[in-house]
Amino acid sequence: MMNDETGQFEQRLSRRPLRQIPAGWRTELLTAAREASAPCPASPVGRHGWLTTFNRQLATIFWPHPTAWAGLAVVWGFILAMNVSLREPSPRLAEISAPPSPEMMVELRKQQLLLAELIGPREPCDAERSRNVAPRPRGVRAELVAV
Amino acid sequence: MKMPAGLDIARLYDEHAQSLYALLLNFTRNEADTRDVLQEMFVKLAREPNLLTGIRAERAFLIRLAHNAAIDLMRRRGTRERTKENYAAEIISPFAPANDPDEKVFCDELALALGELPAEQRAVVHLKLWSELTFEEIAAALDIPPNTAASRYRYALDKLRDRLRPLYEEMKKAE
Repeated sequence: MMNDETGQFEQRLSRRPLRQIPAGWRTELLTAAREASAPCPASPVGRHGWLTTFNRQLATIFWPHPTAWAGLAVVWGFILAMNVSLREPSPRLAEISAPPSPEMMVELRKQQLLLAELIGPREPCDAERSRNVAPRPRGVRAELVAV
Repeated sequence: MKMPAGLDIARLYDEHAQSLYALLLNFTRNEADTRDVLQEMFVKLAREPNLLTGIRAERAFLIRLAHNAAIDLMRRRGTRERTKENYAAEIISPFAPANDPDEKVFCDELALALGELPAEQRAVVHLKLWSELTFEEIAAALDIPPNTAASRYRYALDKLRDRLRPLYEEMKKAE
């Protein structure tokens, strides 16, 4: 009963005629398809096959968002320019600065000697000291602690 | 202006354009959009004739191509609709204009009810009722399992029947 009703309903729907495709579209769409599939006429640029292919590849890559790619290129250009302009002065400064005078060298040497006297000879630090002690059994260590 | 060997684009048009047009119109409800998608499809087929190489179910393949193109278009149109207020004025029914007033009302309501269905259910209903494909063929065309196609059809038909019941009962009584 229910299936019968469903069947009738389906039939009623499927009998509704659909809108027909406009007659003029056939010529228009087929012409567009044929034009799209036709090879491009020979041009001066076409002679350089690899250049044309390269251009097409580039166009394919950049086509989705050309503005975004251009923006990215500008930003990179700016970063490169900044990098170059900041790096340039350093070698010049080194060239311009004069070598230290003999008096200054003597003074520097004195300061180094004074510093060496103040610090004294180098002693091994705690970490090195503990590394030099050979490990003992636990019992011995416990006795040492107790003492 | 020579077509690639092995692909008769005119034959493809004559055999499939009408059913693809109806399917696309049911999706887009806009003649200009339908034309754009159809043209895009035929241009693609002309440019890449190898697309059909080794395809046994030509119709199913073209339906899948049209369906995917329509979904892409609907996504794009979703963005466009937000900025286009008078869009509703352009919507057209996928059904041929009817002379009988009752038939006209029924067709208009059916078109509205179809428009309210989710796109995936609408595609199955269209292919089953108006392209007369089996669930296996629909499954192959839409790249879904046959059981999914059948269940989508049942859900969609239930919704349509509920939506059109008053009109349908009235028309049955009148007969």
